[in-house]
Amino acid sequence: MKSRKRLSAWILSLALVTTVTACSSSAPEGDSAAAGGTSKEVKITLLNSKGEIQQQLEEAAKAFKTDHPDIAMEIIPVPAGQSPFEKASALYASGNPATITMLDPSDVIKFKDRIADLSGEKWKADAVDKSLDGSTLDGKVMAFPLAIEGFGLIYNKAVLDKAAGGSFDPSSVKTRQDLEKLMGQVKASGTAPLVISPMDWSLGAHYLSLAYSAQSPDTAKVAAWIEELKAGKGDLANNKVFGGLMDTFDLMMKNNIDEASALSGTYERGPELLGKGEVGLWFMGNWAWPQIQSFDTAGGQYGFLPVPLSDNPEDFGNSQIAAAVSKRLVLDKEKSTPEQLAAAKTFLNWMVYEEKGQDFLVNKASLIPAFGNIKLEPQDPLAKSIKDYIARGKTQEAMGTLPADHWAKNGAAMQKYLSKTGDRAELIKDIESYWKSVK
Amino acid sequence: MIAEKGRLNRIRTRLLFTGPTLFAFTTVMILPFVFGIYLTFTNWDGISTELTFVAFENYVSVFQDTEFWKSFYLTLKFVGATVVGINVVAFGLAYLLTSGLKGQSVFRAGFFVPNLIGGIVLGFIWQFIFSNVLVYLGKTYDIGLFRASWLSTPDKALWALIIVTVWQYAGYMMVIYVAGLMNVPKDILEAASIDGASGWTRLRRMVLPMIVPSFIVCIFLSLQRGFLVYDVNFALTKGGPFKSTEMVAMHVYEKAFRSHDYGVGQAEAFILFLLVTAVTLVQVYFSKKMEVEA
Repeated sequence: MKSRKRLSAWILSLALVTTVTACSSSAPEGDSAAAGGTSKEVKITLLNSKGEIQQQLEEAAKAFKTDHPDIAMEIIPVPAGQSPFEKASALYASGNPATITMLDPSDVIKFKDRIADLSGEKWKADAVDKSLDGSTLDGKVMAFPLAIEGFGLIYNKAVLDKAAGGSFDPSSVKTRQDLEKLMGQVKASGTAPLVISPMDWSLGAHYLSLAYSAQSPDTAKVAAWIEELKAGKGDLANNKVFGGLMDTFDLMMKNNIDEASALSGTYERGPELLGKGEVGLWFMGNWAWPQIQSFDTAGGQYGFLPVPLSDNPEDFGNSQIAAAVSKRLVLDKEKSTPEQLAAAKTFLNWMVYEEKGQDFLVNKASLIPAFGNIKLEPQDPLAKSIKDYIARGKTQEAMGTLPADHWAKNGAAMQKYLSKTGDRAELIKDIESYWKSVK
Repeated sequence: MIAEKGRLNRIRTRLLFTGPTLFAFTTVMILPFVFGIYLTFTNWDGISTELTFVAFENYVSVFQDTEFWKSFYLTLKFVGATVVGINVVAFGLAYLLTSGLKGQSVFRAGFFVPNLIGGIVLGFIWQFIFSNVLVYLGKTYDIGLFRASWLSTPDKALWALIIVTVWQYAGYMMVIYVAGLMNVPKDILEAASIDGASGWTRLRRMVLPMIVPSFIVCIFLSLQRGFLVYDVNFALTKGGPFKSTEMVAMHVYEKAFRSHDYGVGQAEAFILFLLVTAVTLVQVYFSKKMEVEA
């Protein structure tokens, strides 16, 4: 899935190279006279396409350097609004690729001729179930799974407690009717039930993708169904999952605080409304936590509800939130020296096995690691909520293999529907014609 | 005039002066352009190390790409509105600020400043104005036109783009018109005044014909910039809502870099280049006919 954080400034400054700290190597015992042969410093770069953790990554680069003084790492941000593919392909075209590139899962295969095989890495054995699936090509592991992310309806527990007249129980929402009832209670308590963020990446990459991932818990069946869409045999009009998802969207539209002008909302509006308790629910993912936190009035009490697709609690998708590895790190083999490759691999291992690396992943960057050996508990409530769903086996595998332009094209179609400019038939026509045009 | 003996010496002298610029122009403009044309015959995706020759397949794809032509039609509307808007506003400002007003130099500088702001920053500034400032005013004082963000509906988003673009370029074109107006000979205006011509007649019959060169330059520049608009488009509307304000340059960019269809994107860019060249050359040709001498 893609996350397109829009920053207030379009282009971030390139991160400054970490200050070189003078650090002499320790002399071998009893041979101080021979000391002085300093090893050469290795410089590596990391292209960061997760704008919201740019600062944390820069701090991680410093922490990494204190653990590995002979490696200097520079973090290059992808400008907000650009996809990692755009920036990475431009760097390759100029003959100056980053040593480590943070790609969206669907882009990894396009770089297969230029990236290193990571099958021999130790962390492969510790990666959690399915986390390597999307980037294993011809049996080779070509990318490092950086983080698991999930999305669904984020709830503000303080608002929902008030609406429920007691302590809100998230497991009480299993059907569309349950959700409708809950939103009615929120409205009756004087708060707007929901805000829908109208960005094309949210509607196209996240909400709409539920129509694919909820087709089956078996990812092979989901992939087969996608192939049917490409062949023009998808028949969305009669697909129960798609129809149910859009019925729920209709319900959300009716309860949207921005109903009068559905496309006016900006991304910044969502965390503000939810954090301040002016809405009870917001469809978004756990990457939004830093922004929600800055407005928090609910004492950090937030979590996820799945988006219900039907009125039968047993239907797949009604109790499952979408979660998957969202970003993958690839190592360049075309321009990188063997020393740089080794240094980059050291960084990956540092994140998985070293205390400071794990601290960066979980506590500083608020990421959910894709490695079973990392025992640190996430501090932020959204990550906790996702981990809970994972532990209970209540997740659907979020789509990591959608084409790169899926969110832009189908997000536009969803926006049309959201603004009532187009009806459902038009939406279906747009989505089906998109899939038929996919090569 | 430097008179040198021998053809070889003359060629050497000319290359000495024009060589560096010619080299820069060739490497930065000509070679990428030719390479781009080459790419239009391949199926490159922008990153793969392999590419296959596909002859004219990409050009066929361009003509079948209804989104491209829809964007082009939208861009025509945008260009039509901005060329008229920019030049009317610019000429109006220039005429006003060459009529002897007090402090007109300060005003000239003030109107020129928007052009110095980069398109991206400009877009974000105006996005804030359209999404927050005007909406706040609209709700506070119950002005229907501004109660909802202009950027959330296709027609208003397009007009927002037009307004920002006119605001951005009018000052720049104003400077060109000021130069033109200042070159109108004072004596012919005085003669006309003595003969009893009104201000409007003097403007229409004498001033406008005299500054046709300024019109040619300004229309050419605003046409070219209008067709290739990307930065304000990106920052202000991002082609939204639902791609209803995606200009043709943005469409080409998305085709090449987002859809990973570099060959088709490059082919679209080349066709766009031909179309814009045709439009601008035609307007220059017809405009030249209107030039007059004092």
